[in-house]
Amino acid sequence: MRLVGSEGLRMAVQVLLRNPGRSVLTVLGLAIGVGAFIAMVSFGEGARRSVITQFESLGTNVLKVKSRVGGRDAGGRPPRPLTDADVRALEREATTLADVVPLARRNMDVTYGGDQHRTALHGSTPRFNVLRDWRLQAGGMFDETDVAERAKVCVLGMTPVRELFGSRDPLGETVTVGSMPCRVIGLLAEKGRAISGADLDDALVLPTTTMSVYLGIPDGYMYLEIRPKSPELMTAARFEIGEILRRSHGLAEGELDDFDLLSPDEVTRAADQTSRILTGLLAGIAAVSLLVGGIGIMNILLVSVAERTHEIGIRAAIGASPRQILSQFLAEALALAVVGSGAGAALGALAAVLVAKPMGWQQSLSPAVVAGSALFGIAVGVVFGYVPAQRAARLDPIQALRRE
Amino acid sequence: MPPVVDIRALHKVYEEGPMRVEVLRGIDLEIAAHEVVALCGPSGSGKSTLLNILGCLDRPTSGVYSLGGRDVSTLDREEQAWVRLHYIGFVFQSFHLIPDATALENVALPMYYAGVARGEREERARAILGRVGLADRAEHRPNQLSGGQRQRVAIARACACKPRLLLADEPTGALDSRTGVQVLELLGELHREDGLTIVLVTHDMGVAAFAERQVHLQDGVVVDERRADASSG
Repeated sequence: MRLVGSEGLRMAVQVLLRNPGRSVLTVLGLAIGVGAFIAMVSFGEGARRSVITQFESLGTNVLKVKSRVGGRDAGGRPPRPLTDADVRALEREATTLADVVPLARRNMDVTYGGDQHRTALHGSTPRFNVLRDWRLQAGGMFDETDVAERAKVCVLGMTPVRELFGSRDPLGETVTVGSMPCRVIGLLAEKGRAISGADLDDALVLPTTTMSVYLGIPDGYMYLEIRPKSPELMTAARFEIGEILRRSHGLAEGELDDFDLLSPDEVTRAADQTSRILTGLLAGIAAVSLLVGGIGIMNILLVSVAERTHEIGIRAAIGASPRQILSQFLAEALALAVVGSGAGAALGALAAVLVAKPMGWQQSLSPAVVAGSALFGIAVGVVFGYVPAQRAARLDPIQALRRE
Repeated sequence: MPPVVDIRALHKVYEEGPMRVEVLRGIDLEIAAHEVVALCGPSGSGKSTLLNILGCLDRPTSGVYSLGGRDVSTLDREEQAWVRLHYIGFVFQSFHLIPDATALENVALPMYYAGVARGEREERARAILGRVGLADRAEHRPNQLSGGQRQRVAIARACACKPRLLLADEPTGALDSRTGVQVLELLGELHREDGLTIVLVTHDMGVAAFAERQVHLQDGVVVDERRADASSG
């Protein structure tokens, strides 16, 4: 005998329709649970994909060496800065590398007229990958010739522009960086704030060489962007960079690296992992609400069993077996769970689509998630329906018949 | 033909904490096929307990109960349910119909549990309702029926799976005397036409007189047995 037959299900639906208001309230919790689960997983997935896309836009064929200067000291001797000597060593000794591009960062005062503003200097070259993502609002970026000639030119972010120029046009004007005069040749488009709260517009970009010669970079370069000759050489390049930098930093065997070597997939993976954890957390919270929905079904069915004790007694007396009574209540739980989960899946899918759009997240409603959540909701309903069903099946028919 | 019911040295003891109540204290009872027996006795005599055991709703503490030649005194709950479904029909004092179901659905219910297909079940339920004179009330719910009609639906339901033994617990207790007589006449008719074996539990001597044999219980033992022809003679 099947535990829940089609006819049992039909009868269960009839019973539930006798009290439609209550049935709707019963499934509401489960519907919300399933809906929340689908929405949360979809949001998380959408956010994750957006983050990954962002990181991938930085270039997948680039290795990044990050200086530890100014960072947390792990004990032992302080980390050495990344210097031109390192860059030269890499360019001279490495056989796998096509290109080494340094980025220097330093906070300095910039003045114009009588106004002064402290901003973050970015010494770079047009080859620096990140720069390609920085859109210009006006003017242009310096070129390789400027880098080679150590031209005293710079591109300003919106914050120093506001602070120093107000409503005046900065293009072509000369600002003083430290003590070096520098002509403004471009303006960066406004970017707003980073997740950390840092002002992304508080920046001044100038050629690395200019910065190094006229202003100095006491802490060394912040990053080296390194491109291997081909993507297949990524692993070999990694190894070679590590070797050369260790040697150039004079690190003894057994001493830990005093720089970080990141490959793009590592960065992406880290971001991926972070957003996965976040998605898991959201899904976990939603799963709790799903469980609460299941408990709702259990409660209502327990009430229903208590109310229908007499009826259960009658059914038992005329020959319904405990198993048949169990299956009857399981069928009711199943019917409730199917309706609740179905409604929840529709709600969740709708919410995922409607919310992702204004948030600018990628659309990521996966049919597997919708189906999986709905099935999970049904399972939750049936599992929680089992307790009341078993209580009904275990009723003593003589006692049950006495209860009116 | 072997007896439908064969009970030997039946005891039923209820224990609740230190309390120990012996409700049945050694009952011997045989009921032949096609017999109509009345179990009589004052309340507390143990007749309801005996009826519950006869109906496989309860189990004896000791002793043997054979139903149709099969020992049913030690069955588990699933097996008891199977025996109730296929061997026994119940008629209760307060009808015990399912209030949300129509007369037809009530009568068809045991056949549902027996696995009879829907179409056949409804056809048979309609036929039985016809026999108890309620063909035109098939779609009525219990609260749309009179007491006598409800008891006739209950009798139809009890007969739905062609039981070997019909157990009627005060079947006229909730009815006025005229309706009560009609219900008894219906039971008599089923007995004569189908050869149904009937056990009636009653404290009404008028109802007991309807049976061929009266078994009197007191304090958990059979104190008296008489045949209707002997008492009326």
